[in-house]
Amino acid sequence: MPPRRWGRPSFPSRSEYSRLFRVMSAPWLDVLDDTIRSCAAHNRPDLAARLRETRVRQLDPKLRVLVLGEPRQGKSQLVNALVNAPVCAVGDDVTTTVPTFVQHAETPSATLVRTPANTPTERIPVPLDQLADQVRAGRTGELLRAEVGIPRDLLTSGLVLVDTPGVGDLRPAHTAGTFAALLQADAVLMVSDATAELTASEVELLKQVMASCPNVTVVLTKIDIAARWRRVAERNRAHLARAGVAAKLIPVSAALRLRAARTGDQALNAESGFPELLACVQQDIVAAADVLARRTVAVTAASAIRQLVAPVREELADQGPQTTIAKLNEAQRRIDELRRRSARWQTVLSDEMADLVSDLEYDLRDRTRRILREVDRTFETADPARGWDAFEQWLEDNLTEAAATNFAWLLDRSEWVAAKVARSFPVHRDDLLPESVFPADVLDRVSKMDKPVIERFSASQKLFTGLRGSYGGVLMFGLVTSLAGMPLINAVSLGAGALFGGKSVLDESEQRLKRRQAAARVAAQRHVDDFFLKFSKDARDAARAVQRSLRSHFSTLADDLQETLLESARSARRAVQDDAAERERRAREAKHELDRLGRLYQRVQALAGGAPPLGITA
Amino acid sequence: MTLADEVWALLEGALAVYRDSPRATAWLHGHRARFAEPVRVAVAGAPRAGKSTVVNALVGEEFAPTGAFTWYRDGGRPRATVGPHEVPVTRRDGRAFVDAGDADRVDVEWPSRSLRDLTLIDTPPGAPVERVHGEADAVLYLTRHVHSSDLGRLRAAHDHPVARAAPITTVLVLARADEIGGGRIDALTSAKQIARRYRREARVGPLCQNVIAVAGLLAVAARTLRADEFAALSALASLARTELEDHLLSADRFVGEDFPVRLDPAVRRALVDRFGIFGVRLTTTLIRQGFDTQVRLTGQLVQRSGLGELRESIGACFTERQEVLKARSALLGLDVVLRNEPRPGAAALAAGVDRVLASAHDFRELRLLAAIQSGRTALPGGLDDEATRLVGGLGTSVLARLGLDHRPTDAEMRHVVLDTVGRWRDRAADPAHDQAQRRAAAVVVRSCEAVLTALG
Repeated sequence: MPPRRWGRPSFPSRSEYSRLFRVMSAPWLDVLDDTIRSCAAHNRPDLAARLRETRVRQLDPKLRVLVLGEPRQGKSQLVNALVNAPVCAVGDDVTTTVPTFVQHAETPSATLVRTPANTPTERIPVPLDQLADQVRAGRTGELLRAEVGIPRDLLTSGLVLVDTPGVGDLRPAHTAGTFAALLQADAVLMVSDATAELTASEVELLKQVMASCPNVTVVLTKIDIAARWRRVAERNRAHLARAGVAAKLIPVSAALRLRAARTGDQALNAESGFPELLACVQQDIVAAADVLARRTVAVTAASAIRQLVAPVREELADQGPQTTIAKLNEAQRRIDELRRRSARWQTVLSDEMADLVSDLEYDLRDRTRRILREVDRTFETADPARGWDAFEQWLEDNLTEAAATNFAWLLDRSEWVAAKVARSFPVHRDDLLPESVFPADVLDRVSKMDKPVIERFSASQKLFTGLRGSYGGVLMFGLVTSLAGMPLINAVSLGAGALFGGKSVLDESEQRLKRRQAAARVAAQRHVDDFFLKFSKDARDAARAVQRSLRSHFSTLADDLQETLLESARSARRAVQDDAAERERRAREAKHELDRLGRLYQRVQALAGGAPPLGITA
Repeated sequence: MTLADEVWALLEGALAVYRDSPRATAWLHGHRARFAEPVRVAVAGAPRAGKSTVVNALVGEEFAPTGAFTWYRDGGRPRATVGPHEVPVTRRDGRAFVDAGDADRVDVEWPSRSLRDLTLIDTPPGAPVERVHGEADAVLYLTRHVHSSDLGRLRAAHDHPVARAAPITTVLVLARADEIGGGRIDALTSAKQIARRYRREARVGPLCQNVIAVAGLLAVAARTLRADEFAALSALASLARTELEDHLLSADRFVGEDFPVRLDPAVRRALVDRFGIFGVRLTTTLIRQGFDTQVRLTGQLVQRSGLGELRESIGACFTERQEVLKARSALLGLDVVLRNEPRPGAAALAAGVDRVLASAHDFRELRLLAAIQSGRTALPGGLDDEATRLVGGLGTSVLARLGLDHRPTDAEMRHVVLDTVGRWRDRAADPAHDQAQRRAAAVVVRSCEAVLTALG
């Protein structure tokens, strides 16, 4: 392992990154700040507050890039080479057991996140150089992830590199962690080494990944040890094309890059292929995320401006007291209408969520019942004392699968509910649907389970059972033969004792087996029950969190709308009271203001790219 | 009556019962002929796992892959046949090339000491599991690292009642050990540690008899090392380590311009193709360490690449157990006929198959081995290891069973065996053990008694 170096490396040149960021972050921030100022000037602190929230969120983007692939392809080494520091443990055997999040921090630090059974998640800071040992020492079931903070320019944009356990490893617990991380990923680096072409299972994995995160780049690692990596790269591109996967393929060598970092050899760094990979990360991932950020800002800002424009235009459009009074009435009517209909979307939301929760519970009940039935069938014949480990594994796998399917369904249905509520909302707007219906920590809440234990039939118990049986035999036959004048303990009674002893051991074994099977069934039942209880609670909590976030989203929208209508009404009322000269002056002012807003709107639309329909110029 | 005699008698009996069915007769004749042949070992595994490379290393000759089932047997002169027709064996880029066209099966006869008591079958990628296990008596399963899909394929081999009655005929090979750890010079040492871990892994152990790490590329190169290659490697090794280091960083650098010794790029390209960058790193280091003649280097490479261990394991698990493996295959074949064409006279044969499977001591030994490896039977106090050794888990020779590393006098040997038999007899009757443990001890006693008989 190379010596640990925690300081900022002198290479690659830092200006490389910082220049890119200065250029990229400026435009949308200015426009957003201008819009916020306008909102404040127009006496709409509610809109300003919302835009400020967006600003905070966009300024602190967590851009999760998942590094994933089959075991032993060089994933951890790739992350290390990207940040030029040994932040992830690498080894010759299967090393990574939990996802490791590598993100920016002023000083190098490391944290373990774990959930011991039945308690909320806890975070334990550990010294960075002991992280690997601590991860190995912790129980996989309890450890959720490791987090590493390290000062790197690459990461300052909010980029988080997530090193994951290999997919297809023999221990499925590791793989489950990877798929949980996949749900939150913004982009994926799929790692495959250059010593062999993509296998069928890797292509399958790639397709699976594409389904949940389409921003995928394939990284061909270890090109230093593969003499024919160019041919492998060629074939892999053909494989990708055949599978219909539109992903870039970039050949790299982490070994060369790390050596180049140690010796400061620029030529070697170029040879390692990492400059190209970094450029790709910048363009396709960071820049793509920037486009997304601009679009979000554009939509929110545009909607705010449109709300500012509406009252101004009302003011401008009024021609005289009569129309103004009509306007005033109209505004009042629309406010009433809004109040009436906002009751409707609230009902829709609460009804749909109630349905969702009960459907979820039924689905989970159905799945667990099917598993239990299978358990019953198995233990009618099988002896739980043998192969209990395999059975536990099977049960765990099946329950995990049931939970995963159930949860995925919850996510799907929630989106659908959001869409439905949006449809019953009184007006249509671009930002009607929330960006995400899920609170960020929704996945952390799902708790882990304990394993059941069962008793065994020991040799001493057997001896005791045998003795009990033989004692009965000796006594019974001893009494009978004592009638014939023999002593109580004689050859016949002893023989019978041995016979009875043997038989009772046999019977007892049989009974024990039955009891063991019953015990196993009960244990499985209890375990599944526990699972059901815990998981359905988790699912219900998650559903409630979703409902809460949807409700707050839509009520904010409704409040906005109401405030806009009230403002129109107020300006109409002012117009009724004003005299002609005053009206003239105000109209001029309004026209001026409208022009200004129109220009701002244009700038906002330019952010998202493409010329938008305007229709709000004076 | 030995196991071979019993199985032979069953085959003869079946031929008599089925003499009017041409299909069954042809099938049984095939199995009778196969019964007398050397044990057949198929080399199977996922695509690109290094199957052909391992076959080449075992035969000691570089063959160009044919893309078909290729059988390698011992023969007086190099000769290849497709069906009844002989096809020419030519040389292409220094490799033996057999033009098989799109044939399904190629038979190659090759003069090689390694093939004397062994027939090797190289299987094409994606060969169906049933066919591989049907044609071979035992399997070398190759993989780069154990993937969950490999376990499925290994398990499929045990999915037959006869196969279950005589389990474990597989050795798992981690075939590209030189790629571990990015081709570091000590890659093979950690590959061996990984193999050891898999041996203990509860989900892998029961499916195979042994796990071995082999650097296939290096093994082939070692067995077919040419004088000109050795000269080139010596020239490289004459450079100082630091001087060469930069050029061994990557395969690209090694074949690039501006090289410190006068070696044609084509020669370097050939070297890195044959040895891999890891092989070049290792051989130059070894030559510097004093393995500076071709013979010494070859010996060292064969040992380091894991080929020696692989051969030993094939000996202990396959060729020494030839009799029982052959009997197993014959019984599997017989079972197919009895199932497909049931008839009145066959009932006695089916009973005979069951009887041999249940009572033949060789099968009992294999079952006990499987039970111990999978943890179904656990003997108290570290006796597992002794039991495994005594029933032939480490080799079936008398010395391997007794765990002796030198041959003592007959009297001493007899004393050791008698002592062992006595101890295990006690265990077989010990009421503190459960029934499975007592039964296991009885099997061990029977094995020891067989050893005693062999001593005479």
